[in-house]
This record gives sequence, structure tokens and C-alpha cells, in this order.
Amino acid sequence: MTDLLRVRGLSVSLEERRIVDDVDLDIDAGETVGLVGESGSGKSLLARAVAGLLPPSLTTTGSVTMSGTELVDASERLLRTVRGRRVGLLMQDPFTMLNPLKTVGAHITESLPRGLRRRRGEIEKRLAEVGISDPRVASRYPFQLSGGMRQRVAIAAVLAGDPELLIADEPTTALDATIQAEIMQLLRSVQKARGMAVLLITHDLRVAFAICDKVQVMYAGRVLETGLSEDVARNPRHPYTAGLIGALPVLERRISQLVAIPGSVPRAADVTHKCAFADRCPQRRPDCVETRPPLRIVADLHATACLYDVAPAETAPPGDAVEHAQETPALGKPLLTVAELRKDYGQVRALDAVTLTVQPGERVGLIGESGSGKTTLARCVLGLASPDGGRIMLDGLDITYPHRLSASGKRQMRSLVQCVFQDPSTSLNPSMTVGAALAEAAGRVQRAERRSVDELLDLVGLPKKYALLRPNRLSGGEKQRVAIARALAVNPALLICDEPTASLDVSVQAHILELLRTISANAGTALLFVTHDLAVVRQITDRVVVLLHGKVVETGATAAILDEPTHSYTRRLVASVPPAPVTFREERANA
Amino acid sequence: MAQNELLPRGATADQSDAFTGSVAAAGRKRTPRARRPALTIAAMIVLGIMLIAAAVGHWIAPYDPALQNVGLGPTGPSAAHWLGTDDLGRDVLSRLLEGAHTALIAPVLIAVGTTVLGTTLGLLAGYRQGWLDTMLMRLTDLMFALPGLLVLIVVVGVAGGGYAISVITLIILGAPSDIRMVRSVTMSQRELAYVDAARTLGIPARRIMFRHVLPNLAPTVVANLLLSFVFALVALAGLSFLGIGLPAGTPDWGLMIQENRGILDINPWAAIAPALLITITACAATLLGDSIYERLDAGKGFSE
Repeated sequence: MTDLLRVRGLSVSLEERRIVDDVDLDIDAGETVGLVGESGSGKSLLARAVAGLLPPSLTTTGSVTMSGTELVDASERLLRTVRGRRVGLLMQDPFTMLNPLKTVGAHITESLPRGLRRRRGEIEKRLAEVGISDPRVASRYPFQLSGGMRQRVAIAAVLAGDPELLIADEPTTALDATIQAEIMQLLRSVQKARGMAVLLITHDLRVAFAICDKVQVMYAGRVLETGLSEDVARNPRHPYTAGLIGALPVLERRISQLVAIPGSVPRAADVTHKCAFADRCPQRRPDCVETRPPLRIVADLHATACLYDVAPAETAPPGDAVEHAQETPALGKPLLTVAELRKDYGQVRALDAVTLTVQPGERVGLIGESGSGKTTLARCVLGLASPDGGRIMLDGLDITYPHRLSASGKRQMRSLVQCVFQDPSTSLNPSMTVGAALAEAAGRVQRAERRSVDELLDLVGLPKKYALLRPNRLSGGEKQRVAIARALAVNPALLICDEPTASLDVSVQAHILELLRTISANAGTALLFVTHDLAVVRQITDRVVVLLHGKVVETGATAAILDEPTHSYTRRLVASVPPAPVTFREERANA
Repeated sequence: MAQNELLPRGATADQSDAFTGSVAAAGRKRTPRARRPALTIAAMIVLGIMLIAAAVGHWIAPYDPALQNVGLGPTGPSAAHWLGTDDLGRDVLSRLLEGAHTALIAPVLIAVGTTVLGTTLGLLAGYRQGWLDTMLMRLTDLMFALPGLLVLIVVVGVAGGGYAISVITLIILGAPSDIRMVRSVTMSQRELAYVDAARTLGIPARRIMFRHVLPNLAPTVVANLLLSFVFALVALAGLSFLGIGLPAGTPDWGLMIQENRGILDINPWAAIAPALLITITACAATLLGDSIYERLDAGKGFSE
């Protein structure tokens, strides 16, 4: 096999600051390579550098060759012959990637080689390749299509130039789980049929392992490990990769303790002369911070930037926790009762006679894709949206229409239910310090029960000095912890979590999930956990409610539903989750 | 590469922002900061000098600004009178220094008044929405339909001139654009989860508006404040020029342009200097507003 793409010593800097640091990457013709990393790892920049699409304020050094043609500092004219024809770039968000003023057909025609543009049936052929059998789609506009269809069209448009290498930058992140699986399958089949090379950029290890021949793990702008997917998945040779795999929530069973990686990703510029992962590494030794460990070959095609062999985790491999097989017997009065709840947005029925209960201290998962009404339900319970019918009872208090409550009723409601929102970067007020935000929340309860800011920070494992910082100085995980502390300030009986880890990296996600689990167990707080991620649901909830188009289609104990889903939709949902990697060590432990 | 071919060449850099995150954000912030200092510092110096003149102009003026020397009459710049004298032999420099007070105090009052009124109503309309919003919006539509300067002339003229009337009229005329602007940014802030979080905690709406949302509007509010100042400065000078603001003989920049038009051939500085001062002050305030907006806005970014 021959190298199609060869990257050698590629560095990207903003002024004097390194962002991508001395990266090598090889892709052979017809090969699928996964570039895996958390946010800030430089993986997207690397992909853009390969396509010659970096903003002009960045400087690139090193070498990128496509079948021998040098692309670094190449002329715009040369780059134009490479882009589209030889390298195709597929972006994350199909909503912004297509021009809303052009039809699907126009998007495809534009990228077709000149000779094919006028050929009849060519567009239909191209659409059929991405699984769109209806030729009328060609005359539609992007906004008339669903998210999944748009991403299919985007793929067709990228493939129209018949590229030798397709760069897919998080192509499914913006899509629902079942559609994600479809798009990934499509990419895989197109890649096979065309014999095209694919560079898949993703933060999801499971996806990378399931689809790619080779994976390359990036961290703080550099490569930490590279190897065949199977080898890396079974036998990670860098503590970071091992940590990431350990932090993955698993769909198949509940893990008694999710192991997170402490700390957060450093900036590439701060760690140029040492191991980038040293500060968070459980097995750091003095020489890790003296020089920068080079990639060393540990096995055939397998290289790691760690000086040592990965030590087995200090504790025994995390065992499986006991799951409540049965639904908690509804002995006492339910804490939350939602009965026949209905909510319309114009012509659209967002919630259609939804009924569910949450017992005190129970952890209930609310699963569904975008548009299923799960967020609307959460907003109704929080009193942020007004339902059009039905009833919501919270601890004996009718909160269906909170504005009709008396002042004391309102106060009671606020101390019963609180929420952790999806994106901590918008749920914290950027102009308020952490301390001020927490103090304000703590001030909502009676003086006798009031908790101090220090106590609240301590509760979520943050140092006291964070009280003085504004949110923009915090990392995503830290912000989410502050948001959790704020919600806990009034000691609510029910905590609604609206996709609290969806915008966080895997290593941080484990922290937050573990924190929520602990808090719920210690304080007896009931959780209503809204999410589309089934593996997360498995880790944190006792019972699940599956929503589809505003209706409850299935409900029951988490383990039972995920192991043996009965409704066809739930079955599809479960099937769409890529299998978790089983490491060599676990295999041995289980044997 | 469909993406790239769909967009004009220049678009790639912007479009990459969304994907390269913090890097592009840093790059974006850097560009204005590198360009800013020289102009901003110049603007600050100009406004500083104007403020000093407004504060102590009366005491540092070389002559009594009202002192007439009819025998001397209009003269060009000389060692005794740096900017010459006007029709009645009054020292132009002294009159400019004395006039700085009236020229700047009223616009400052108007700017503060407009901003307080506009921000409060805009915040209410944007946060509460509903009937209050509809009413305020129709009201601003009506105000936008009126020819502002004409209304000003009529109102001040009918009321027989006077400082207070001009100030109040200008505050009311300036408020609608502030209301609109603040309303639209309030509406976009209202969508953010921190407002929902505050509502979930049961924090009263008034407190959410003024303690949570308002600080995040600072860039817009400050930019509005300086723009209102400029609007008022120019409008008041226009009124004086038309002779409806202040009694004749008051040392006022606008009035001086009007009074000294006749002696352009003898001492052009008597009319040009006040005109220049108005222009320079207006430009400096605009530039400063711009730069403060950019700085505050960059620091506030939710994307960081």
C-alpha cells in the first residue's frame, strides 16, 4: 500500500503560541483513520491544515503531502485543485454547511467534475449512493430536509468531486443517536464501495473503534498514541487512552464507579517540553516532566508517547454495581406526578398525554431524541413553560400553573425542584462571580438551613478560591459543577438534569456523573435525568421513560429496558450505540 | 469540499471560527485590540481636554468672555487674542472656553437621561414581552416616523426656548432607538439558560432584569450612552445655530457659529473654531464608544 496522505512534523501556531505540536499522520489509500481527542486537542485544526483551510492568522510549519504534492504554503491555485477533487471535507453541522438559497441538486452539480455536470441522471445516481432514492429531493432546499437527510446531502455533495480522501469532522455530533448510527454506517459503506480513504475526527472512542482501521489519539496538540483500532482498544499503551476508555460509560452494565481523569486538558503551548499528560497522569515519574517523550514503537504499527508501560489500575478493575432489578415499590406517595400532560406549540403537539411518576430519592431517566418533548416536559415541571392540559403534582403541591400559586406556594415549589442545564457556558451568568451566583441561590432558603458558598463549593469538589472567579475562567466541567452547586443550594427534593454532560468531554463527563450519583445517594435527592445517551442512563438511573413524538412509548427498570427493549423504537435506540471497547485486561479479569 | 466552493473566498476564515473555537476567538479579539490604541488614546485625550475646559474654562479664560471692546471690533488672531475677536471685540478663545461648559453639560445630561430611560424601557419590553412590549414598540414606531429635528424646533420654539425644555425634548426624542437596541439584546440574553436558572430559583423578575441581564448588556448600553451624547451635542448646536436654544450673546459653540458667520472674511476662526470643536468632540465620543463596546464585548463572550 502507498501513502496517500503523509503529514510530517506539522505544527500550527497562533503568533508564538503552539496549538498543534509536531504531529505525524499517515493515511494509505482506502484506509479509515480515526483522529480521537477531547476539545482543545487540536484535532480539528489538524484536519483543516490538511485541507489548507486554516485562518490566515495561523502559521503552519512542517509538511503535508498528498501523493507527493506538498500542501503547506502551497499557492491558492494549487490548493483549489486539491480541495474537492482530492480531499473532501465534511463538517460537523449539516445545518450551516449547506447554503439555504441553493437546491440540493445545485449543491451536488457544483462539485461534480466538469464533464459530468450535464449528464442526465448523474444527480440521481449521486443521491442514490447516499441512500436517497427519491429523485425529487434534488429540487428541494436544505431547510426542507431533516437533519439526517441534510447530512446525507452534504455527504453526496462532498463525494461529487470524487475525492481520494474524505475528512469527516465530527460528522454526526449534531444528529440524533439513531441517525448517527445510520450516517456512520453510510460513511463506512461508501468508503468500502469507493475504496476511498477517510480521516474521521471524533471525540467518541466507541465510534472510532467501531469504524476505523487505525486510530490516532491526540491531546494538547500532539499525538499520544497511534495504532490499529483493535490493538488500541484492547491494549491501550498510553495512560491517557487507558483513562479515556475507563471513563466511558457502558451501555451493557452499570459500573460501580466511573473513573474520571482528574484535571483538564492543558494548552499545548504550556507543555511543549514535557509529557502533555503528566499533570493528570496516575503513574507520573520525575523524568516525565524533564523532556518530551517521543513516540516509541511498542508493537507492530502501535506507538505511544509514554516512557513506561501502562500500569494496571491501582484498584481492581471496577466491578459491576448492583442494579435495582425491580422498580422501586411505590409504597409512599410519589414525589412527582405528571398526569396526562399536554403541550402544543402552534400546530405541533410537543407533549401528548404524558404520564409519569418519580418516587422520593428515585433516579428516573427520560430518554428521547430531539423533538421527542423531553425538554418541554422538563420545562413544564420547572414552571418555565405552561402546559395546555393535564396536571403536575410535586409533593402534594399542584404546580401545573405556577403563576397561580401563592407566594409561599411558589417558595415551596422552588425549594422542591431545581435544574442542571445542558450547557454550563450559558447557564452561568458570565458577569457574576461563582461566589455571587452561589450566594444568591443559597439566599433563597431560610437562614437556619442556609449553606455557605464554601460548603457548596466543597460539596461539588471545587476549591474555595473559585468563589472569586467569573465563569469564563473555568473549564466546562468546573462550570457544570458550579451549576450543580447552585441547584443544590436550596436542597431540592427533585433535581432535573437536562443533558448535563452532553457538552462535556468524556473524561469530565465521568466526574459529573459520579458527582450526581453521590449527591443523589447521600442527600436522597430524586433525579429526573433527561438525555439521549443510553450508556449514561444505564450508569445513573433506576428507571427509564422513553418518549417518542411527545408520547411515552415504554417505561420500566433501566436494566430491563436496555437489555430487552420491547418497543421497536427503543430497540433501534439501543442498537444505535456502538459497543464499548473491551480491554485486554478486562477480558482476562472476566475469564 | 462543497462547503468551500459555496462560499466566497473571504468567507473561509470566518466560517472556520465555529470549528477552531478558542483559537479563532483569540484571533478575532486580537485584531481590534492591535488596531485600537492610537485612535482610542487620541479620543480619550480629546474628551479629557474638553472635560477640563468645561470644568475650569471659566477661570483659565484670558479675558472676560462677555467683555466687549467695540472700538477694537473684529480682528484676526494676534498675540493678545490667540483666536482673534468677534464683531463686538470679545475674545474668541475666552468665549470658547466658557462655552465648553454649556456645550458639554447639556449633552451629558441628555445622554444619561436617554440611556436610563431607553435601557429601562428596553429591558422591560425585551424581558416581559406581551402587551407592554407591543405598546412600547408601536410608540417607538410612531417616534421614528416623526421628523426629530423639526419636532425639536417646534417644541422648543413654542415653549419659548430654554435649557430645560431642550434637554427634556432631546431625551424623549433619543430614547426610542435606545429602547429598540436594548430590547433586542435583552431578548437574545433572555434565551440563555442562566435566565432560566434564575427563574427556577424563584428570583424576582425585577432582580433578574437588573442584576442578571443588565450587566451583560453593558457593551450596548455604554455604546448607546456615547452615541446619545453625540446626537445631543450636534442637535443642541443646531438649535443654538438656529437661535432657538439660548438667548443671544451667550458664549455657546452653536450660537458662535451663527453670530460670527458674518465676519468670516475678517476673522474666520471665530466661526471655524467652534465648528471644529463640535466636530472633534463628536468624533472622539463616537470612537471611544466603539472601542469600549469592543473591549467589553470581547470580555463577555459566552463562547469562551
